[in-house]
Amino acid sequence: MSKKKTKVKLELNRRDFLIVGGTAAGSVVAAQLLTTGPLSPFASFKQAQVEGGEETSTQNARHHWGMVINLDKCIGCEYCQRACSATNDVRVDETGEDQDQGNNRPEKPWNIVVQDRTSTGTPFFFSRPCLHCGDAPCVEVCPVQATYHREDGLVIMNYDRCIGCRYCEIACPYDARKFNWQARTDVNPFIPTWGIAEVERRPRGVVEKCTFCIHRIDAGLKTGLMPGEDREATPACVNICPVGARIFGDLNDPDSKVSIAIATEATIRLREELGTEPSVYYVIPKEGL
Amino acid sequence: MATRLLNGRKLFYLSPALLAWIGLLGLCIIIGLVSAYQVFKNGLYITNMSDSVPWGLWITIDLSSIALGAGAFTLSAVVYLFGLKRFQSIIRLAVFVGFIGYTIALLTLIMDIGRPDRFWHPWVYWNIHSVLWEITWCITIYLAIMLVEFAPVIAEARFFNRYPWIRKATKYLHRLAPLLALLGLGISLLHQSSLGATYGIVKSRPIWFKPSMPIMFILSAVAVGPSMTMAIAYVAEWVTGKKNIPTDVLRTIARFSGFAIMIYGYIRFWDLAAVTYYGRTPSVSESFNLLSQQTPYNFSFWVFEIILGVVLPAVLFLTPRFNRNPGYLVIGAIFAVIGVVINRWNVTVGGLFVPLSYSPGTLYQLEPGKYFPGLPEWGIAIGIIGYGLSMLTLGIRYLPLFSKEEHA
Repeated sequence: MSKKKTKVKLELNRRDFLIVGGTAAGSVVAAQLLTTGPLSPFASFKQAQVEGGEETSTQNARHHWGMVINLDKCIGCEYCQRACSATNDVRVDETGEDQDQGNNRPEKPWNIVVQDRTSTGTPFFFSRPCLHCGDAPCVEVCPVQATYHREDGLVIMNYDRCIGCRYCEIACPYDARKFNWQARTDVNPFIPTWGIAEVERRPRGVVEKCTFCIHRIDAGLKTGLMPGEDREATPACVNICPVGARIFGDLNDPDSKVSIAIATEATIRLREELGTEPSVYYVIPKEGL
Repeated sequence: MATRLLNGRKLFYLSPALLAWIGLLGLCIIIGLVSAYQVFKNGLYITNMSDSVPWGLWITIDLSSIALGAGAFTLSAVVYLFGLKRFQSIIRLAVFVGFIGYTIALLTLIMDIGRPDRFWHPWVYWNIHSVLWEITWCITIYLAIMLVEFAPVIAEARFFNRYPWIRKATKYLHRLAPLLALLGLGISLLHQSSLGATYGIVKSRPIWFKPSMPIMFILSAVAVGPSMTMAIAYVAEWVTGKKNIPTDVLRTIARFSGFAIMIYGYIRFWDLAAVTYYGRTPSVSESFNLLSQQTPYNFSFWVFEIILGVVLPAVLFLTPRFNRNPGYLVIGAIFAVIGVVINRWNVTVGGLFVPLSYSPGTLYQLEPGKYFPGLPEWGIAIGIIGYGLSMLTLGIRYLPLFSKEEHA
């Protein structure tokens, strides 16, 4: 049987080429106009965000907020965890009700406090807010920039943009993120004993995390207060600590309490080998780790 | 009338077997819709996912269906770029299967994200550093490419007798087939490997963080995708009783799959040796110890991924004794597909089972992540499979998937 050898050929004459090229170019222009350009239905949306951010951005760039947690001083009272959960209205599972229902989903707080032990066997207490990494894996993986770096070093969530894919939860090396699996109807047991809710509850289906009480920082700076020095501008967990194990301040300012603590004490950062550059430093116990 | 004989066959005639099949598919889809309603109403709370295992069965379905849709770009490239024209007869089916696979992935993703109302955000708010953003874009673009590739087939349906200009336009589009094949190849190579990179870049989890992840994902997709198309072609042949695609074409595809699966198996073993033996780190060893002690990871790896997913398909596809018999080829393809699905499951859930360790002390440890899909998750899975099979049934019955006509 003789086979006719046929070849698939791309037959494009000049007219076709112009039509195809023109369509492609037109599509690119149209896409540009519709997504980021003036024709975009989201243009006003984005513009508002840019304008809102501009006011504080020059001011923000001067600071880099950080925290020092003294593992030697911490007594494990969990006050920071409770004040955080009250101030930020974090869903907590005090009763263990969720686990009773056979639902293997403990509601972890933003700020955990746990018992730990050094390699020599000395017990100490370890607590962990969000570390606000300088090179944050969660920021890198978010497909929509719902979590992003602010110029003052804070890693922030935009709850209006988050699609709830939970990739940031998977990428975070410190387990610092929490997803809203259901709509919130719970009564927060820490309010009002440990503080009042200063921020809105997050809607169902978005990821949330510690903000270093950003609402206090921003409001404080506007009225001339210095976060870390003035209580009104300082995160709730730092204010409530009865033994002063947590200090907060500007890492860019060499005279701030945090900078002095880092300069004078032996500090570590968590999983430093990953290169995430956390903004939270730990003063290690006197006996070493 | 619609029921009039067409080409000697009633268009809407339903045999009892077909009726039963439609009933089964309808049941699957109803289960899926009920589950979807429950999930949308109550949120992801009713699934068994948690903050320690935030991804589960649905992500496994996404990854698998995209990998199994890889026959579309592979065979398009074979025909339009490498000029192997005898595979032309399977192109339409391959693109159709790919299209179903990708729509399955998108539907499941909609269920999986916490805010389905914001599904469009990745197209408006760009994070060009995110692999997930890149995957979303690639999948969207590739879906569009497949639609354009497939448009002439849809336009051949009887319905478009009334609109000859549409048919003309799609024929014009078809002249772009080589260009589309090239675009599809590029885009597919990008996102098929990026799906592996989704895990490979996560430096906080030692058993994921390795450069071989994208390679293994794309190799397994290229190997198993075409054999899936091949198997569907055979099953369609048995069901419709019409020989549409020459046996030698299907057999060649099976042999190609066999060789590609062997290459994938080789890389898989190289990776295994690298991460557990000559390139191991303490954290990786610890992770694998935990996995093999507390989960059936070892069993499912050796039995499902290696024996069922690599060895048996390679034997069935490559040895002349078996690959002359379509039955063995279809069984081989089913094994290979199971291998890919279990592989994606092991990667996702296995990686999340191993807890993070970030405390500077020695005592505090997170619990290993416990996960088994809940009822709503299985419901969605059943519904989505029902959707895929319904599309396939409708396509085989009503679309000229096996037309001998040449348009190029």
